[in-house]
Amino acid sequence: MNFQLTEEQKLIRDTVRAFAENELADGSKERDEQERFDRVLMFDKLGELGLTGIIFPEEFGGAGADYLSYAIAVEELSRVCASTGVTLSAHLSLGANPIYLFGSEKQKQNYLTPLAEGSKMGAFGLTEPSAGSDAGGTRTFALRDGDEWVLNGTKIFTTNGGEAEIYIIFARSDKHAEKHHGISAFIVEKETPGFTFGKKEEKMGIRASLTRELVFENCRIPINNLLGPEGSGFKIAMKTLDGGRIGIASQALGIAQGAFDAAISYAKERKQFDQPIAGFQAVQFMLADMATQIEAARLLVYQAAYRASAGLSYSKEAAMAKLFASETAMQVTTKAVQVFGGYGYTRDYPVERMMRDAKITELYEGTSEIQRVVIGSMICR
Amino acid sequence: MKILVCIKQVPDMESKFKLNSEGNWYDNSDLAWRMNEYDEYAVEQAVQLKTQVDEADLTVLSIGPDRVKEMMKKALAMGCDRGAHISDDDSFKKDPYEIASIIAAFAKDKEFDLIFTGMQSQDRGSGQVGVLVAETLGIPSITTIVDFAFAAGQITAKRELEGGIKALIKTTAPALLTCQLGLNTPRYPTLPNIMKAKKKELLSIPVAELHKVASKQETARMYFPEKRGGGLVLEGAVGNLADQLIKILKDKTGVLA
Repeated sequence: MNFQLTEEQKLIRDTVRAFAENELADGSKERDEQERFDRVLMFDKLGELGLTGIIFPEEFGGAGADYLSYAIAVEELSRVCASTGVTLSAHLSLGANPIYLFGSEKQKQNYLTPLAEGSKMGAFGLTEPSAGSDAGGTRTFALRDGDEWVLNGTKIFTTNGGEAEIYIIFARSDKHAEKHHGISAFIVEKETPGFTFGKKEEKMGIRASLTRELVFENCRIPINNLLGPEGSGFKIAMKTLDGGRIGIASQALGIAQGAFDAAISYAKERKQFDQPIAGFQAVQFMLADMATQIEAARLLVYQAAYRASAGLSYSKEAAMAKLFASETAMQVTTKAVQVFGGYGYTRDYPVERMMRDAKITELYEGTSEIQRVVIGSMICR
Repeated sequence: MKILVCIKQVPDMESKFKLNSEGNWYDNSDLAWRMNEYDEYAVEQAVQLKTQVDEADLTVLSIGPDRVKEMMKKALAMGCDRGAHISDDDSFKKDPYEIASIIAAFAKDKEFDLIFTGMQSQDRGSGQVGVLVAETLGIPSITTIVDFAFAAGQITAKRELEGGIKALIKTTAPALLTCQLGLNTPRYPTLPNIMKAKKKELLSIPVAELHKVASKQETARMYFPEKRGGGLVLEGAVGNLADQLIKILKDKTGVLA
């Protein structure tokens, strides 16, 4: 196994790191405090860099890079601003990728190209009040009426909701089919009559990222906006979430790395009892554990990304990477606050924000419990 | 128009430097490498000029071991058309005159209209290479430029002088310019351009083909300056801090005498 990044992957890492440190880092505290999504900085500029279409072919406005480059990009953004990391991950993995994987040629031209180029932002609506991890509980309905589908229902917790222009929406298109059968995926554009935005969530972390309710009231969309075959929505959702988990795992990895970087640099500067606290074994052991966990998470995330690029199966590996990286993020950020001591609990230092940001990675795109269900079902079948 | 930009790979300046066993240079192992900061401005200016004029061909040149190709890929991704890698594992041992002679030997029959270099490197900092290349080729050089314009064959460059003074210099091609920080805003290479860069020509030329002169100087010794007394960090409540500060100013300086 080759553990060396290619020259292109290294260059992508260095470029995204420089962008993140020079452009994103300074404002991340303020954006968090103000719950402010900065479209230009957190999305448009990613488009200019070619990050919004990193894994898609050039013919659809993408960069033609591999999944590992994408993972590295999300990691580097999340190292300084987890909200920007998830904005990209939700846009690319959840908004654009299903169109790339399941869209018709025309849908790719109409929707994937502007998404990849970053002139439009993507989002994904699966979760509902009664359907989270259990997509079978979907209560949003799509009724066929002539040349149109009519959508009715509510989606919650949609990342990029309200700001994105293109939404992948899952709705029950066959009333009589049970559970996850009879669900279809649709491409819905912002500004479609009958499509409005509801409550904007006030969150513990990733506060600069938008999370919003989507409301469909007799929202009519052309039949051509059905994504994939009718009734294949559940399959599309699951396949999409496999890829999404690599994005969230990368986000978690970046949060952990950012917290570790802050902790080690603080430990070398902060003096107690006439020496830097990094000289104390108690602190060194914490840092050693953090570094080891991060390295293990990175290997799992990169492996899942490598498998996705190589065309190998990666459902299990993506679930493992997401499970381990998100739990690593929570543990490492908690330890980072510990290394900072009382200062770590204040907003003068970034680690309290990172700890708040880390928690969501154990929850969205499948909780840690759901990841264990996915892994368990695959290793026990 | 033919343009050449010369770049150097240097260690990340936040690295922990150690001296090599001969004690005449830093130890090259275990360092993170990047493009010399001044050279990033040179590349950006060259790319801007190439975009401005029609039918420009922009070559990026670097001397060094294989690892410099990684940085050259960045220059290609920023917009250079082709790369010339002068392969030399011992480039760090060569003095500015040797380095300049190698570049001049490469450039002499290629009729470059403009050559851009950084004002100096962050590791050696001699500031000589650009000027020596120009002298060897017999073309004018303008150093430390902070602004650059090209119109109708005329080069207009601003130089930064001491005391806040600037100078406006005009010349015509062929010429060489050494670039100061702040000349422009170096672009981030975009991801599509990073991917395309791997398809661009990157020639490798053994240094022996171009290296025909002997050095004129040598670095006899490199060393860390002796540590002076460290700074003093005062701690405590504000009132107490002020008292401490006043005492120090009284005892150790003439400010409050």
